[in-house]
Amino acid sequence: MARNISYQQAIGEALAQEMERDQTVVIMGEDVAGGAGAPGEDDAWGGVLGVTKGLYGKFGDRVLDTPITESAFIGAAVGAATAGLRPVAELMFIDFMGVCFDQIFNQAAKFRYMFGGNAETPVVIRTMYGAGLRAAAQHSQCLYPVFTHIPGLKVVTPATPYDAKGLLIQAIRDNDPVIFCEHKSLYTLEGDVPEEAYTIPFGEANITREGDDVTIVTLGRMLHVAQEAADALSKDSINCEIVDLRTTSPIDTDTIIESVENTGRLVVLDESNPRCSIATDVSALVSQEAFDSLKAPIRMVTAPHVPVPFAENLEDLYIPDAEQVKQAVNMVMGK
Amino acid sequence: MQLSKDDLLKAYRMMKTIREFEERLHVEFATGEIPGFVHLYAGEEASGTGICMHLDERDKIASNHRGHGHSIAKGCDVDAMMAEIYGRGSGLCAGKGGSMHIADLSKGMMGANGIVGGGPPLICGAGLAAKQLGTKGVAVAFFGDGASNQGTTMESLNLASVWNLPCIFVVENNGYAEATSSNYSVSCDDAADRAGAFNMPGVVVDGHDFFAVYEAAGEAVKRARDGSGPTLIECKLNRYYGHFEGDAQTYRGKDEVKNLRATIDCIDNFRDRVTSAKLVEKEELDTIDAEVGKIIDDSVDKAKSAPVPAASELTTDVYVSY
Amino acid sequence: MPSDIDQPSVGILANPAAGRDIRRLVAQASVFPIAEKRNMITRLFSSLGKLGIKKVYMMPDGGGISDRIKHALKTPPQNGQIWPEIVFIDMPMEDRAEDTQNAVERMVAAGVGGIIVLGGDGTNRLVASKSEEIPITALSTGTNNVFPFMREATIAGLAAGLVATKQVPIFEGTARNKVLRIDINGIESDLALVDVCTSTALWVGSRALWRAEGLNQLFLSFAEADAIGLSSIGGLIRPVSRLQNMGLWLDLMDPETAPISVSTPLAPGLIVDIGIEKVHDMIPGEAVSLRTTQGVIALDGEREIEFSPEDSVAVRLEWDGPLTIDIPKVMAYAANNGLLTSTDQTRPIDGV
Repeated sequence: MARNISYQQAIGEALAQEMERDQTVVIMGEDVAGGAGAPGEDDAWGGVLGVTKGLYGKFGDRVLDTPITESAFIGAAVGAATAGLRPVAELMFIDFMGVCFDQIFNQAAKFRYMFGGNAETPVVIRTMYGAGLRAAAQHSQCLYPVFTHIPGLKVVTPATPYDAKGLLIQAIRDNDPVIFCEHKSLYTLEGDVPEEAYTIPFGEANITREGDDVTIVTLGRMLHVAQEAADALSKDSINCEIVDLRTTSPIDTDTIIESVENTGRLVVLDESNPRCSIATDVSALVSQEAFDSLKAPIRMVTAPHVPVPFAENLEDLYIPDAEQVKQAVNMVMGK
Repeated sequence: MQLSKDDLLKAYRMMKTIREFEERLHVEFATGEIPGFVHLYAGEEASGTGICMHLDERDKIASNHRGHGHSIAKGCDVDAMMAEIYGRGSGLCAGKGGSMHIADLSKGMMGANGIVGGGPPLICGAGLAAKQLGTKGVAVAFFGDGASNQGTTMESLNLASVWNLPCIFVVENNGYAEATSSNYSVSCDDAADRAGAFNMPGVVVDGHDFFAVYEAAGEAVKRARDGSGPTLIECKLNRYYGHFEGDAQTYRGKDEVKNLRATIDCIDNFRDRVTSAKLVEKEELDTIDAEVGKIIDDSVDKAKSAPVPAASELTTDVYVSY
Repeated sequence: MPSDIDQPSVGILANPAAGRDIRRLVAQASVFPIAEKRNMITRLFSSLGKLGIKKVYMMPDGGGISDRIKHALKTPPQNGQIWPEIVFIDMPMEDRAEDTQNAVERMVAAGVGGIIVLGGDGTNRLVASKSEEIPITALSTGTNNVFPFMREATIAGLAAGLVATKQVPIFEGTARNKVLRIDINGIESDLALVDVCTSTALWVGSRALWRAEGLNQLFLSFAEADAIGLSSIGGLIRPVSRLQNMGLWLDLMDPETAPISVSTPLAPGLIVDIGIEKVHDMIPGEAVSLRTTQGVIALDGEREIEFSPEDSVAVRLEWDGPLTIDIPKVMAYAANNGLLTSTDQTRPIDGV
């Protein structure tokens, strides 16, 4: 049954349904209820942008507000995951990974391997990323490449409400640590989302548009920028195939290669900074695996190698747009 | 505080096993056969033993880089531990963790840790799980004077306090964090002084005295199981060996270790007291000495002759799609 | 090196370890931060300096107090106060009780006119074992304090200084204390200022005694009704003052079956029932043997000595304990003799 809800609501729904189904799922984070210890409402915020609103009322002490101590509560989520709970911890902004990174990349990511396979760490860390809200340099980054680099972590970047719900439910049911990256500019985006619970497997990219001329590999909010560019390009009779990665780790190399083998041209669109990004990662992958299929060099479209600026016009220049994608496509098309 | 004769023998065996394990490693490491780094617990046995004697299968511990003692005290298999330190496939972590990452989650041993201060947050998590799942288990973090300064530790003390978690934070203060004395690097005299700032009780005990540790730990475990929240126990003690094996320890006083071994050795003290109080016969302890010696000898032999992990193990225990 | 009458001196002995024992965990024991001890000591400096004390001797403890005092000495005292010269005794420190005794011996040898002690019963006990005839000013900082007094340090410093500079004669400002002496196999081996208690618990674990089980026999040099700790067991049924020419000894037993059971404030926030089988007067000079053959002996509330069937142990009450300064008495003498006043003889005022 067609039902339009927002990306934000889809995430909240996934959390509520999984918490209903499995008593060991708990949520923790700063202001995930909001109002702890204060005289006003118990559920005052429901997350800084309202994603977890209503959960405290339903699930009480399985929704835990935390002090602003990321090392402790992200670490606690990791430890609790090895001790029988399935925590979904919120790292409010991905930019804050600096204050808890050890617990993620040295502890959670490595337990299964370091302990010879005798450990499971079923923790999900939900976190907001991305520019567009004028939140400036320390609240707007796309740091998923850093997590992608770490063996043992799974990294998920849903672009639509449908994907957000299905991938989050998958993440909660997955027995490995998952970094679930939510683009803050997508929270109000609406889309068709089934009411029942469903999962989307990791490592399966989504071809959102088919075409024979050029492959655009992208993720997160940039999916919508790619679609806008593709619409414009189709008027020039250039047909783009858009591959939405959905998860950067595991990454669906098969779908990427297959598409490039068909189109022979690749543009990678990634909102993160250019060095050591998903753009460079995918480009290298394709160069190695599908070189002979390429009719033109690969083009990468990314943000510039600068911190995210504050002024509105500058931030708008920072974020890759459809025009830049069009130019990149025209280049690989030899136009 | 009543300890039965069986308890006394168990405590002695535990401390002796740890001591012999560590002393043997000191010898074997010098031959160059053991890969990587080891950090020996010799001298500190009363602390881990005095605390772990109160724990059962519901309870969890997290340790630090100096983790062999805690692992043995929590019941990890000695042969598997030795094999792990030698990097063999039969090791406790299939040879993929090594000395600094020895773990056995089935025994509630959440791992030695190569990151100073890595353990306390994990213990907050174990405490939270025990609370949510209603197990009445407690979670114990062992760490040193160096880690007592780490932000992660401070945050964990705060979190355990505000969430009223069944956690026990044990500072094993041996006076040195690597080569720097705690006199220099810790801004208070007693790490236990910081407990009050986090609204939990903090006590200092003589870490060479099994009975003092056992008594304080008993109270802390009771508090935690009763739902009265976390405690910080600071065990003042000494390590006999360096920060790691190979550390020449030139930062320590001349004859410092020699004097310690002669005067405050926790195992000698324990032995003296239980035999002079006529609770245990000297011969019973001697028997344990012999048994432990053999167990350690066997574990080394087994480790040396065990095969290294298969090459295929390189890429197992992690999802890999490329 | 005896002190010159023009160079009167005082010793200050602050135990860094007081107040941080297991009673913090099992009772509501006080948390007495080192910073507060430092503050008390600098207040003492102002008072002693005002009265003309030239030197203060202190123990060079391994960290903590002496470090903080040295730090405080780097800036001159505020508000026109004058401090004495602070001398950290040149002595080896072993981080043991013996350090305190060693320091006191050296203070006595240096000719101090008094020793001010910041600590609990245990610290005062150690000081008393070596203080000889030097008056002690006992200021409370630890848990379970019976012997020392809770006093503001500035006033305590004035009182100690007045006696040490002989402005108040010793016999006017001090009192003699009783003491309990322990003989093991005929040799005097230790002392306690307030209480000696035997327990059948078989080892000295955490030193503080806080459990009722196993308490067997209790000897008290005095027993005040409003005290905390073991002496309140006697104090709540048969009070004996510090000045009375007797003490008490009690046979203890299981409170369930005892003829008398006392609700005893054994530690801060901890009130437990203690059973008493019999109460005896303790006559000074008479040795009383222990009635149990094996266990531990707690001196002033801290388990100190383990004994076994081969040992024969006896306890004596004596009157040759330390001299302590009676602060109200000293200050009253000072007021009555105008010791802290200076009068312009040409302009007397009425009523003084």
